[in-house]
Amino acid sequence: MSALTLYQIVALILLCAGLFGLTQRRSLVGMLISVELMLNGAGLSMVAAAQLTDFSAVLGQLGTLFVMGLAAAEATLVLAMVVVVARRFKSAKSSDITTLKE
Amino acid sequence: MEVLAKIAFGVYTLVILGGAVLAVSSSSLVRALIGLITTLIGVAGMYLLLATPFMAFMQLLIYIGAVSVLIFFAVMLTRAEQGGDESDKAPMKRYLYGLAATMAPAALLGWLVLTRPAASVAVPVEVPIKQLGDGLLGSYFLPFELISVILMVAMSGAVLLVWEKRGAKNGGDR
Repeated sequence: MSALTLYQIVALILLCAGLFGLTQRRSLVGMLISVELMLNGAGLSMVAAAQLTDFSAVLGQLGTLFVMGLAAAEATLVLAMVVVVARRFKSAKSSDITTLKE
Repeated sequence: MEVLAKIAFGVYTLVILGGAVLAVSSSSLVRALIGLITTLIGVAGMYLLLATPFMAFMQLLIYIGAVSVLIFFAVMLTRAEQGGDESDKAPMKRYLYGLAATMAPAALLGWLVLTRPAASVAVPVEVPIKQLGDGLLGSYFLPFELISVILMVAMSGAVLLVWEKRGAKNGGDR
């Protein structure tokens, strides 16, 4: 098994853990944690693919840097939304803020 | 890979796995956050193994320094711990659906990765930081500027969202 395959399996495990957590978590903050897991898997996969193949290594690293920047922006916005939702619904559970079915 | 690199890879994989399991399965959000930070440190170690020390440094700086602190603020501001949001068991049906939703991409992507391996070199390429800087201020200047615009919009949007008008605090919920 080549080195790239090993790294990609680890990245795949991170993606699946994040996906599973996203479906199981009952609070918005827990879902945010799972999304961060998935983004980390993406970054690891990109850097491994850029470093271990003939592809341009600079492009791979810069792409991962952009993923990190986007993750920071996303975390900021989600924090603000969670605070607004928690203020309005007095809870941050995803089951409490579905009003359509009532 | 060298033997030492293999050992380091195994250790980092264990760290990542343990952190991910803790982050997904822990019933306390603070413990889940600790698991996330463990995973982030493991991924930073993987970046070191891939001969990208700059990425490892950025991982520590951005994810552990900024994003984790933000999530910790989210935990505190929503008082997520108090009610024990995560303590009650999920229904079995939801668990099975979640497992199915996870298994589908895992099986497909795992099959692709295992049966169609890309041609990979054994030793990672080393890129000097100067080349990264040249890339950021040369060929990829537009994305570099765009990411700063996105960050500014996100920050100001966050401030705007949670802005509370003076006097509106005891005027009932909005």
